[in-house]
Amino acid sequence: MDMKTIYLLIPLAPLFGALVAGLFGWAIGRRAAHCVTIGGVAVSFALSAYVLNHMLSGGEAYNGTVYTWLSINGVDFNVGFLVDTLTAMMMCVVTFVSLMVHIYTIGYMHEDPGYQRFFSYISLFTFSMLMLVMANNFVQLFFGWEAVGLVSYLLIGFWFKRPTATFANLKAFLVNRVGDFGFLLGIGLVLAYFGSLDYAEVFAKAPELKDTTITLMTGHTWSLMAVTCILLFVGAMGKSAQFPLHVWLPDSMEGPTPISALIHAATMVTAGIFMVARMSPMFELSETALNFVLVIGAITALFMGFLGIIQNDIKRVVAYSTLSQLGYMTVALGASAYSVAVFHLMTHAFFKALLFLAAGSVIMGMHHDQDIRNMGGLRKYMKITWITSLIGSLALIGTPFLSGFYSKDSIILAVEASTLPGAGFAQFAVLAGVFVTAFYSFRMYFLVFHGKERWMEQGHHHAHDADAHDEDEHHHGLGPNDKPHESPWVVTLPLVLLAIPSLVIGYLAIGPMLAGDFFKNVIFVNHDLHPAMEAVIHHAHDAFHMGLHAFATLPFWLAAAGVAAAFVFYMVKPALPAAIDRVFSKIGVRKLLEQKYYMDHLYINGFAAAGRGLGTVLWKVGDAILIDGLLVNGSAKVVGFVASIVRRLQTGYIYHYAFAMIIGGLVFITVWLGVILGWFGPEAREWIGNLLYSRA
Amino acid sequence: MTWTSLNAGIALPEIFLLCATCALLLIDLFVSDARRGVTHALALVTLAITGVLLWCGYSPAPELAFSAMFVADPIATLAKGGMVLGVALVLIYGRSYAADRGIYKGELYSLTLFSLSGMMVMASAVNLLTLYVGLELLSLSLYALVALQRDSVNATESAMKYFVLGALASGMLLYGMSMIYGATGSLNVYEIGHRLLVGEGNRLLAVFGLVFIVTGIAFKLGAVPFHMWVPDVYHGAPTVITQLIGSAPKLAAFAFIIRLLAQALEGFAPDWRGMLIVLAVLSLAIGNLSAIAQSNIKRMFAYSTISHMGFLLLGILVANPVGYSASFFYAFTYVLTAAAGFGLVMLLARNGFEADQLDDYKGLARKHPWFGFMMLMVMFSMAGIPVFVGFFAKLAVLKAVVNLGMVWLAVFAVMMSLIGAFYYLRVVKLMYFDEPVNDITLSGGLGAKIVLSLNCLALLVMGLFPNYLLSMLNDAVVFSLPL
Amino acid sequence: MTEVLFYVFSAVLLFAGLMVITAKNPVHAALYLVLSFFTGAMLWMLMQAEFLAVSLVVVYVGAVMVLFLFVVMMLDINFEELRKGFWKFVPLATVVAAIMAVEMVLILTHPAAQLKGVTLMERAPEYNNVRDLGVQIYTTYFLPFQLAAFVLLVGMIAAIALTLRKRKNTKFQKPGEQVKVKRNDRLRIVKVDSEPKPTFEAPKPAAEGQGEGAKGE
Repeated sequence: MDMKTIYLLIPLAPLFGALVAGLFGWAIGRRAAHCVTIGGVAVSFALSAYVLNHMLSGGEAYNGTVYTWLSINGVDFNVGFLVDTLTAMMMCVVTFVSLMVHIYTIGYMHEDPGYQRFFSYISLFTFSMLMLVMANNFVQLFFGWEAVGLVSYLLIGFWFKRPTATFANLKAFLVNRVGDFGFLLGIGLVLAYFGSLDYAEVFAKAPELKDTTITLMTGHTWSLMAVTCILLFVGAMGKSAQFPLHVWLPDSMEGPTPISALIHAATMVTAGIFMVARMSPMFELSETALNFVLVIGAITALFMGFLGIIQNDIKRVVAYSTLSQLGYMTVALGASAYSVAVFHLMTHAFFKALLFLAAGSVIMGMHHDQDIRNMGGLRKYMKITWITSLIGSLALIGTPFLSGFYSKDSIILAVEASTLPGAGFAQFAVLAGVFVTAFYSFRMYFLVFHGKERWMEQGHHHAHDADAHDEDEHHHGLGPNDKPHESPWVVTLPLVLLAIPSLVIGYLAIGPMLAGDFFKNVIFVNHDLHPAMEAVIHHAHDAFHMGLHAFATLPFWLAAAGVAAAFVFYMVKPALPAAIDRVFSKIGVRKLLEQKYYMDHLYINGFAAAGRGLGTVLWKVGDAILIDGLLVNGSAKVVGFVASIVRRLQTGYIYHYAFAMIIGGLVFITVWLGVILGWFGPEAREWIGNLLYSRA
Repeated sequence: MTWTSLNAGIALPEIFLLCATCALLLIDLFVSDARRGVTHALALVTLAITGVLLWCGYSPAPELAFSAMFVADPIATLAKGGMVLGVALVLIYGRSYAADRGIYKGELYSLTLFSLSGMMVMASAVNLLTLYVGLELLSLSLYALVALQRDSVNATESAMKYFVLGALASGMLLYGMSMIYGATGSLNVYEIGHRLLVGEGNRLLAVFGLVFIVTGIAFKLGAVPFHMWVPDVYHGAPTVITQLIGSAPKLAAFAFIIRLLAQALEGFAPDWRGMLIVLAVLSLAIGNLSAIAQSNIKRMFAYSTISHMGFLLLGILVANPVGYSASFFYAFTYVLTAAAGFGLVMLLARNGFEADQLDDYKGLARKHPWFGFMMLMVMFSMAGIPVFVGFFAKLAVLKAVVNLGMVWLAVFAVMMSLIGAFYYLRVVKLMYFDEPVNDITLSGGLGAKIVLSLNCLALLVMGLFPNYLLSMLNDAVVFSLPL
Repeated sequence: MTEVLFYVFSAVLLFAGLMVITAKNPVHAALYLVLSFFTGAMLWMLMQAEFLAVSLVVVYVGAVMVLFLFVVMMLDINFEELRKGFWKFVPLATVVAAIMAVEMVLILTHPAAQLKGVTLMERAPEYNNVRDLGVQIYTTYFLPFQLAAFVLLVGMIAAIALTLRKRKNTKFQKPGEQVKVKRNDRLRIVKVDSEPKPTFEAPKPAAEGQGEGAKGE
């Protein structure tokens, strides 16, 4: 099998599974549906692993067109693959996490009537994501980008009978639309100024256009590269949920937990990070764009972390943690440490998928109660979930030697070394973020797995009675005398398999990925202008010493302080949080956090309301009067008029028909021969000639 | 002159088909009505073998036979392949429909296969006489087939109209051909083309003949104002015959036009371009605007055919290989689209129920989501909505027209297809958003359903991968035209 | 001499053609058609195409038209009914036809049309154009000739398919079946109880008589 066939098979195997499960799921039943989709993803993963191995053992990167879909004025719309180390790594992460989630789903969606549909969707997602990361041109990138967005939309609204789910998926769709608008404009600029949509050609041409400026409004000129990169990054902000386009991600938790793990933590939301890393040859050329990226990332990293502290829904805690971690990755991108961002992307994919799946396991154990205030002491009942959650949390907060530590500390190092104007703020944000992360992570951990078994307390309230559950299918929450129980093996196996890379992948991969030349010729960094990577490489050479050294650095102690604070607040003195709460309520911070910085207010009552207002006006004037009145009714009248004439001619009498033919022939004779023989004078000849015989 | 100098081998598919049809005619005499399946199977086998023979006989360089009366070039071979496929689909989809209406007879098969022979001859003939005889073989079979349901008043009436008007058109065509012969002194397409290009022959008489030839062609295509027969015949004929008339002969007509206009009368391209512009503009306008007013789906398809033929003419009037191959692609994909459309109509029809009213499609998608979806694909493809093959067919034609510099014509065509999208989408709306008024049951065997589904899916697949077919047809045109 | 004859025959041909479509009596119309075929044959004769002229007379005048006349006379078709409205369209049709005729005259008499008389080829006395025709048909024009045969075949199939009807109630004998008949096919002996039963069922009649023409033969 040559490599091209393998590259083709990798995305097509999940597509096949998705089609079979989606179209014929009703016929083949549940078991066959999950077998075929898991089989497809497993094939895809095995081949991806083979490809990664091929790359690691010095295999050539592949860049080739598989099929030209269409070609317009010399611009080809191709389906093509660019497979290099970055792609190979992404492929492995995507297919591995996807495989885990597929297996997990067997247990999690066990009772759901939409079982086959769900498998079809997640396989379709895997296909779309693979097309996205394997693209060698902007069109296919955009296709994958939109396709993952579509599947995400479908999956957030998977339980489409719940109003909150449909609201959430609509919100995700609309917010992403804003991002995609920027993204599309960016691609448009690329096409307009680079004359190609192929990565290799665009990147090759980028240095030439470094100093090109464009005039968007008269009197203002902008650097082409800055505008293009920022527009592309706006797309990434939508997909990777960066401030201020982050609002959809917490709501997306309305979807089933497996997809929260797969799509809204491990893979799809990192598409933006991947895209910027892929476009590094362009971003490197614009200081402005990098600064923008850095500041947006820093804001997201810190402020979304704060929101995680006050959440009570177990999934939302993890969701805000995801937002914050995505902010970290973006900060790394802004600091020109693309490889660090991608490194964090990888480690985060493992431990965040783990945390989500563990949260799902807890939710199952709690009979679909998601409120952490009703949990507690679960470690006795759910041993595997408990241990793996602990590993995930420790990895997340950056415990030395665990995977999250290496990637997060590398980001902090990179930001320290960055010389961009926004670096000071970013450094503060990422350091403060460490404390916040540790605090909310262990707040959740202690509340869920330690302490009193609070579901026993009678009259516990269901925070999400109305919305969080399928009323008719799941009874939710444990009764006072119920005991949670460990989930089946299909659920715990993925937890264990994900816990292993969460522990060791950072230690193993940091050397080659950051210090080695794994990303040579894939990611471009201008080391003279952006020295951040130098600092990271310095440390990354020796993973063991980096781990030891950590105990003497600020981030470690910040994290430790966060854990300690959580321990005091939620284990030792549970009354303390309430007291602090009261203080914060007085100065309004509490309210600010509860309202998520009023972003939703702004969007729903500001932009959305304004949009609706504008829409109403346009509808009344444009639609009702102009289009309905003039165009639709007008054209209907034209149609009616023509039809009435045709109907009158279409009498059904043969001689009428024959007469029409003869008249037609007569007209042809008269006009053509008349013109040739000059019956209508010489001008007619010229006139007809101009009208009909255009230049050939 | 010896037998070998006839070079009959290259006409092997036609020879086989004619012989097999005669054999079928005889075999059918000994087949009882209850066992008509034998005839059906034999007819399909005949088509399959014909297809294989075509495949084996494919050669990129044109080869002449029968004293330069007959040519096997890539255009002819590919067009014939499309025709064989189109006719096979007619037989497959129409079987149970025909059985319900008392026309499941041996004549259905023999006449259908004879009409296919006529089409194949039309595609390969390079002599005015042979072209004409091929056309008559096709037409005569079709007239009889339309009337085959002889107890139906509609069918016999429309057969009568088709016959009389067809005879008139044939007369005009023949008159035009005689003028061309008079002007150039040759019946051979290549010879005529050559003589007219080098300035021999009488140009005035040739243009005079050209007018009549265009008239005859326009009738066969059903271009306005020679289209009046189309709605009546489409409506009146049994749907299986409507499918036959509406699909494969369009490819034959395309090849016929290529032989007459692009090869014989190449030198008069500026003249016939003007005529085709008139025909195309009228067809696009009248076809699309009238289709909206129809409540009968067969009549709607008839007007839609008229507008599609307008598009086909647009490609031809470009008068260069790019335009011809665009039209070829259009005709080829139209055959498949129309076959699928009529196949679906017949799938819904059953004994005593024609399923030809638009209202009969209300709620189809709810009762039968799969076939509702298939119909949706057919409608989308006909409307030219991207991803489906109809879009690429229209795009190819429009590109050719724009390259020629006739932007106004392209804009007009787009406007008209926009109007056309309305009635296609109306069918989709009826299927998906309206409550069913009739109980909808599907007729037809599993095999027919599978083939029909594949046919519809092919519209999507060819839309995803249009380039293979497009480049193949383009090569065919480039290889075939000069000789 | 031939020129005079040509114009005479042509005039008669045009007149006959006009009368075919205007004659009120269908028999007259058919007879005018015969006349037009005949004069057409004469024109061919002037062009030394004797074989074609003779076959036109033999085939069309002798066979086809006679058959047609029989049909017209035997079927009682009210042609007047069919031609209703004919005269209503005559003025319009005349105008269109006149325009067309005028245009054709203008075109064909235009100098660019270069129409001129030609003299016929001189042939040797032993020249036989039947032989020539035969050779051409079976060599150069082999393909159209064969295809024309198929056109005729299609016409025949069509005519049979469209007109042949088997009457459903026709009874005819099948001697083979009659000979093979056995006693038991005709007669069944039924035991009948001497006492009448409350519900009496008449024995089914014995095997149906021969006849019901088998379908499809």
